[in-house]
Amino acid sequence: MQANKHLLLWTSLVTLALLVFAAANENVFKEWRRVQSAASGPSGPIDVHLRQVVVPTLAVADRCVTCHVGMAAGEPVVAGDPTLKRHPDVGHDPNVMGCTACHAGQGRATEKAAAHGDVHFWPTPMIPLRYADAGCGGCHTHIAVPTVDRLAAGERAFERNDCLACHKLDGRGGTLRPLGAGGMEGPDLSFVGARAFRVDWYDAHLARRGEASGGPWDDSFGPLSREDRDALDAFLRSRVGAPKLVQAKATFNSLGCRGCHKIAGVGGDDGPELTLEGAKDPGRIDFTHVRGEHDLANWLAEHFRSPATLVPGSQMPVLSLSEPQIDLLVRYMLSLRRANVPEAWWPKDRVRAERLGEREFSVDGATLYGSFCAACHGPNGEGMRYPGMPAFPAIGNPDFLAVASDEFLTSTIAHGRPGRRMGAWGEGSGGLRASEIATVVAHLRSLGGVALEPDSRAPRWVRGDAALGAQLYGAHCMQCHGARGEGGEGPALANAGLLANATDTYLFETIRRGRRGTTMQGFAQPSTVRPTLADPEIESIVTFLRSWENQP
Amino acid sequence: MSSNAPIKPSRLDPEPVPRRDFLGKASLWAAAATGVFATLGIARLPKAAVLSSPSRKFKVTLPENLPEGQAFVPPGRSVALFRDKEGVHAVSIVCTHLGCIVKPNANGFECPCHGSRFAADGAVTKGPAPAPLPWRKVTVDGSDCMVDEDASVPPGTKA
Amino acid sequence: MVVLAPPPEKHDALRRFFANLRATPARVKDSAFRGGKPNTDRTRSTFVFGNVFLHLHPVRTHRWSLRWTATMGLGIASLAAFLITLITGVLLMFYYKPHPAIAYDSMKDIAFVVPTGNLIRNIHRWAANVMVLTVILHMARAFYTGAYRAPREFNWLIGMGLLVLTLGLSFTGYLLPWDQLAYWAITIGANIAQSPREVTDALGLTETFDVGGLQKLLLLGSDTVGEEALIRFYLLHVMILPLGLVALLSVHFWRIRKDGGLVRPADADRRLGPVHAADYPVFTEEPRKTYQLAAVVRGKSGAVARGPENTVPSMPHLFYAELAVTMLTIAICVALALVSDAPLKELANPQVPENPAKAPWYFLGLQELVAYSAFMGGVGIPGIVLLGLGLIPYLDREKDGTGEWFGGPGGKALVLQALFVGFGAALAIEAFAIRYGWLREWIPDIQQLWITVFNPGTVLTAIYAAYSIWLVKRHQSTRAGALGLFTCFLCGFVLLTIVGVWFRGPNWDFYWSPSDWPGH
Repeated sequence: MQANKHLLLWTSLVTLALLVFAAANENVFKEWRRVQSAASGPSGPIDVHLRQVVVPTLAVADRCVTCHVGMAAGEPVVAGDPTLKRHPDVGHDPNVMGCTACHAGQGRATEKAAAHGDVHFWPTPMIPLRYADAGCGGCHTHIAVPTVDRLAAGERAFERNDCLACHKLDGRGGTLRPLGAGGMEGPDLSFVGARAFRVDWYDAHLARRGEASGGPWDDSFGPLSREDRDALDAFLRSRVGAPKLVQAKATFNSLGCRGCHKIAGVGGDDGPELTLEGAKDPGRIDFTHVRGEHDLANWLAEHFRSPATLVPGSQMPVLSLSEPQIDLLVRYMLSLRRANVPEAWWPKDRVRAERLGEREFSVDGATLYGSFCAACHGPNGEGMRYPGMPAFPAIGNPDFLAVASDEFLTSTIAHGRPGRRMGAWGEGSGGLRASEIATVVAHLRSLGGVALEPDSRAPRWVRGDAALGAQLYGAHCMQCHGARGEGGEGPALANAGLLANATDTYLFETIRRGRRGTTMQGFAQPSTVRPTLADPEIESIVTFLRSWENQP
Repeated sequence: MSSNAPIKPSRLDPEPVPRRDFLGKASLWAAAATGVFATLGIARLPKAAVLSSPSRKFKVTLPENLPEGQAFVPPGRSVALFRDKEGVHAVSIVCTHLGCIVKPNANGFECPCHGSRFAADGAVTKGPAPAPLPWRKVTVDGSDCMVDEDASVPPGTKA
Repeated sequence: MVVLAPPPEKHDALRRFFANLRATPARVKDSAFRGGKPNTDRTRSTFVFGNVFLHLHPVRTHRWSLRWTATMGLGIASLAAFLITLITGVLLMFYYKPHPAIAYDSMKDIAFVVPTGNLIRNIHRWAANVMVLTVILHMARAFYTGAYRAPREFNWLIGMGLLVLTLGLSFTGYLLPWDQLAYWAITIGANIAQSPREVTDALGLTETFDVGGLQKLLLLGSDTVGEEALIRFYLLHVMILPLGLVALLSVHFWRIRKDGGLVRPADADRRLGPVHAADYPVFTEEPRKTYQLAAVVRGKSGAVARGPENTVPSMPHLFYAELAVTMLTIAICVALALVSDAPLKELANPQVPENPAKAPWYFLGLQELVAYSAFMGGVGIPGIVLLGLGLIPYLDREKDGTGEWFGGPGGKALVLQALFVGFGAALAIEAFAIRYGWLREWIPDIQQLWITVFNPGTVLTAIYAAYSIWLVKRHQSTRAGALGLFTCFLCGFVLLTIVGVWFRGPNWDFYWSPSDWPGH
């Protein structure tokens, strides 16, 4: 019995000690208690208790304000740790939507590591503060943004035309009052894209200028060219209070990423879909080859530097991007997160994109070409060559555009080249609408700067000797285009898509003139390294090419 | 019954327990202390540290054509907002009797549960309510009003 | 005019009223604790049988039963762990909300903002694990000391029921957090319930006789783990299974008394020697006690053993022991709770399976077998094991060695040999299957029925059965066979569990260490 008494005594004391330790741990040594006791409001120390923002319709109970006390509703301005400071004015009040809707992280947690989501088993850690505006992507991935060039053109127009004299933009400008001291300020345009603006702003400005006599209306505003006005429109539509994110999306739109990747069902199939790339669970990512902190942002950056190192077997070429470009792309990737919030909370751009079928990108030719085509065909249609892949055709080449009809281009874009890298971009596959394909074709014409040469001949006028053609093909074409026209260094000629769309003139002229600036030299041009082909010979080659048309 | 003979000891007699069973007493007290401490800790659990209801400070935009003297009750909230020439004020619509939601009418408020009546300024005119309806703090910021249901202001305070 | 005094009886009544009022606290105490201070044999007896919570105990306890080696306190530890889970479980019910949309959030609330919530949840989780462990060890103790033998056969069956209920409680509690761990463990569990289809499919009976599908439907209330399943598991976890467990526990305790207390060797009194002089007085007053009352009862009387001369009053001897074990269990649970947080993975995602999706540790042995045949691993072999365990007390009618550790023919040497055979066979089969694969790898288009019948689990079971039959022949004793079989199954359970816990990774592939898992 003595032994049992001893056991009871000591186990009781141990249990008591453990419980006291647990109680102290919970009631005294909590991180947030320390933060709050160090804070002081206008009337002395603040109450130490758990604080939270509850938004029932978003199923949010964010306790971030337990430490970030200054961001809670109705809290006095508190001094002390930088943690306690107020939330910057970004257009959204954390007390209306909570914190995690934008910043991600684990809102219900009350310890820093857990709350910021830097823990195992929390799939959506906080977006790093340097990429904080990527959080806007939860609801605002849908803003229509043009390419970097067009955005820059808009910004230049904005500065050149002295808009900053009266209008504030991202904290700059707006020093003059159009009606003199005491008059109304020019509206701040930093959020103008989110709040919408008058379509007839230019006419309204002109009218005001007509009424005014002297002052900024005369000095700083004058008639604008059509181009400047278009550029300004595109620029202003993208002013939503997140200039860096817009720049990031513009970069994405300029590099042709959608040529391989789908976002919300629009884009190519060669790479993985990116619609929710920013919401990837870091717990399911292999960080073996990532330097620095093991978060999604660093993984993405490292992946852009060397895709195949991080994803074994990745087909994605090394794009040789600059570090600022990588940073922007990482920002855009992180913004691809589509928060699952009730529709009542959706902003108008999301409703328009997901319910009314509007695009998440500008639908001008440059942006469409930049988004879908630039990665393979080059930013200006000069073609592209990646290590380990066949060269991509230069579709901005004037020799090509001079003989390729709009129907040929449209059909090629809509249906692609079966079996080749060029996919089909029509609705149902790549997702481009007929009107958008027409816009791209028009943009291609403007890239080449040449019009289609008129051709009065029938689509199939060539009558040549197929046997001679086969012989000539073996001698002159096979090396680049493959013994059976399957393609190699040069495009595949036995492709059903090509042969069905191409007119005889197209084939004939392409062989005759070649393509300036590419490996394909014109065979009618005098050359020191190979014989010149006469027209009948070229015709017989075309006839030979046609003989592939009916083969399986 | 009395006898001088020595009584045979019986097992029913109090037995000679050790006079001081320090160890036994200490172990029992230690166990009891542990039990009490654990119970105290457990007793704290049902008292929630944070409530699952949303913050009682909120922003609301009054309808532009709200007639003077007519109440505007923001959906899901328990204050009635009024606007007149002097400004905006908010009156709690939680009955001070037993917490039913009172209904604004032409003369003030009426409680459907036990028949309390309140004047337009919240004063009790009839029924069991022990106190007038409190006025809540309102701050006007442009077209928005910030209402704090946790802060009361003296009746008559308008913003 | 004479002022009349109030009638004397009235005056008396008032006086008595106040006297009674003054005496009330003392009387409340007296009425609650009738016996008075438990310092004599009589008051101690009253203390025990006059108290509803204690009266399941005998008034006096045999000294043998109080020896640590007799029970190791495992039964009491199991009960203590159960009581801890009961109390902490009820506390968690204040905040837990059993609906898929909010269950996970309420778990986070418990972890982060409920006062003492995280600690209580950790204790609940650890006490549940401790309970599974002590119940298994308690069963092993009962087996190795021969406590299942007559007249305790039926209590052995009750104990098996308690083991099943304990595992059921743990398993149903597993789903409630609604995280990935929970979701996929329960998905696997539900499909094990469906695994009889493996046999009915092979026999072409599923159309008419789909017992597997029915089991799964009853368990989940739907075809996948969803809100129906959650509310069912919640109901099972907080109501049906605990009530069943309490009912069986009552029978279990009652039968201990009725079956003559804890098991002890026939010559326990002789081995213990005379009572220590300083101890409590032995039964001296009526040395020629008769058992006439017992004689009236027809049939077998409750075993009364050999008289009370080697017993001590339960109050305080037994209660110190019980209290000490209880407190030790609490201490262990609290210490574990402070060291290790109960896991809470990411929110359940029906689209992305956990890889590997592991069941709770005590089911990983089964999961190892399930990897070959869902039916045999999840239903067949556990069924055979339970059947075998239940039959043991009715087949082993020997008396030799009852109440002694590893008592019976062969004794310790036999158990040691069985340990080697049990571990060796399990290790060999596992190593073979991991190295060379099994029928499916050799003959890809083999019928599943062949694998169901012939897989590492059934082979291992057959080896164990053959070994114990050999033991029965060799020692000419059923007990010897039982010792061998039980030891072997224990070894198999331990080894398969170890492999499942530490050596299985994504896709249930073999890994020497979790650090070798891909992607980490």
